[in-house]
Amino acid sequence: MQRLMYAFRQALLAPSRNTRMAVVVGRLLGSAFIICFLTGIYSHFIQDPIPGMVFLTRPIWLYQVSQGIHITAGILCFPLIFAKLYTVFPRLFQTPPITSFANFLERASITLFVSSSLVEIVIGLLNTFQWYALFAFPFRQTHFTLSFIIIGSLAIHIACKLKLITRYWTKKASYDEQGEVLPTGEPEPVVAHLPLPDVGIGYTSRIFAWIDKTPQPKQPRVSRRAFLTTIAATGATVVALTAGQSFRFLDFANIFAPRKNNVGPDTLPVNRTAHAAKVLESAMDPDWKLTVTAGSTTRSFSRKQLEAMTQYEVALPIACVEGWSQMAKWKGPRLKEVMREVGASDGSGVRAISLEKGSSYAKTEMEPEFAHDDLTLVALELNGEVLDIDHGYPARMIAPARPGVLQTKWLSSLEAI
Amino acid sequence: MTRTRGWQIGLIAFGIALLGIGVVVLFQEVNPKRYIGILTWLVAALIIHDGIIAPAVFAVSLLSRRLSTRVPAVVIAIVQGALVVGGVVTLIVVPEILKKSIGTLSSSILPQNYLLNLFLFYGALVAVTVAIAVGYYRRFARRANVRPSLDHD
Repeated sequence: MQRLMYAFRQALLAPSRNTRMAVVVGRLLGSAFIICFLTGIYSHFIQDPIPGMVFLTRPIWLYQVSQGIHITAGILCFPLIFAKLYTVFPRLFQTPPITSFANFLERASITLFVSSSLVEIVIGLLNTFQWYALFAFPFRQTHFTLSFIIIGSLAIHIACKLKLITRYWTKKASYDEQGEVLPTGEPEPVVAHLPLPDVGIGYTSRIFAWIDKTPQPKQPRVSRRAFLTTIAATGATVVALTAGQSFRFLDFANIFAPRKNNVGPDTLPVNRTAHAAKVLESAMDPDWKLTVTAGSTTRSFSRKQLEAMTQYEVALPIACVEGWSQMAKWKGPRLKEVMREVGASDGSGVRAISLEKGSSYAKTEMEPEFAHDDLTLVALELNGEVLDIDHGYPARMIAPARPGVLQTKWLSSLEAI
Repeated sequence: MTRTRGWQIGLIAFGIALLGIGVVVLFQEVNPKRYIGILTWLVAALIIHDGIIAPAVFAVSLLSRRLSTRVPAVVIAIVQGALVVGGVVTLIVVPEILKKSIGTLSSSILPQNYLLNLFLFYGALVAVTVAIAVGYYRRFARRANVRPSLDHD
């Protein structure tokens, strides 16, 4: 078995599978993971804040860009993680598999790191088009849990490999003049001198003999350059063909993203339709009224009464945690002016309750910094038209730098909190 | 204690703290009935990568290396690169095609014709790959002035 493992390892050796390459790709993948983690944590806390947290309301595209980066960096992780695993794949067949207790812990943490990373980016991708039926677990909570496992394992992995990372940090210190990788300076494992399996005994040996006869690439520099070019080309391709959903200037190349700019009612994409939210009847009710409460004061506003208030027009993006976003023009009274009608103080936040049924987002809370922002509206119009029912008719929230899922649609009531 | 050792200890402590947070979050946010589902995915991810994707990549690279006596290394590298680009794009797009065929709750989700786009993409990839490979092959042939060989650069 040991010889077989060794034979696997030898057979898998290639010029681009070396420690320097693992460091080069690892730096990129590690950076992408950290970017995804920070942007993800930002989105998590803006949706589920710890009491006392305060968020920036400017720039208005803060949330939009942060989540565009989250999803784009997540997609970029696919080629990067495949490349990283490619560079270290022969190490899977390390012989003996465990050399010490510390080595066992390191390999266990790498196993957890690799599998968590693969699962994280795959479920993240599937979530962008809401294929929840495949998950045997709740997406958001699992994605959040795994993010800590990944960054924790990443820190441990960097610690274990720190000497090698610093040893191969620069190209100059990594290769000799012939382009061969310089040794680590650490003793090679003794098992490296094991003989290959004998030829002629069974299929395994024949396969290895055939592999053995296969010429190794003779130009390691060409092979490595090609490897890095391939990673760059794959990364550029997947980003260019999907990032248009988040970054308008790439819209022309967006042929694979799960959302497309200008596709949807009033030329704006919709995540949750009125049908899915079961509001087709309640939202079209001619007697609909928005109930606004502050303390013991309650008032109801019909759409006509809301239209009679001073109307403001603002340009704000609708930006989803799933990465897609689009700018739109919204019109309606300012939220703070609606709240003042019932005597809400300027320091209060607002709880918005929707007509929709069966959603954890039917009730959302808005911090005072958003509630009292001049750009935060009770929107009645979108892009010059009366709000489409899928966009939240008769009235919805719109605020700067907030996740789309908190821009509550089909408003039923507002409460000062 | 050396500086490296200090960093290592700091990173391991930070890593263990984050793993601890991960475990707490798991206990607090995910119903224990779902743990087996998460574990299944974690194991399946390793099996699919280490057992299917990586060996398949190895097999393709072996086969292409066997051609390397007849075709310049650079041309082989270009074709391998194109296979990787095509393969990764396929892995990302095929789930979209499948989900679109099942249906989505909103017409704005997966609004594009991903199958058609994927084939258009393959066409463009082949065209670009052939153009680059032929360009390199000619350059090598001119430079070597004989049958292109691996040992000439």
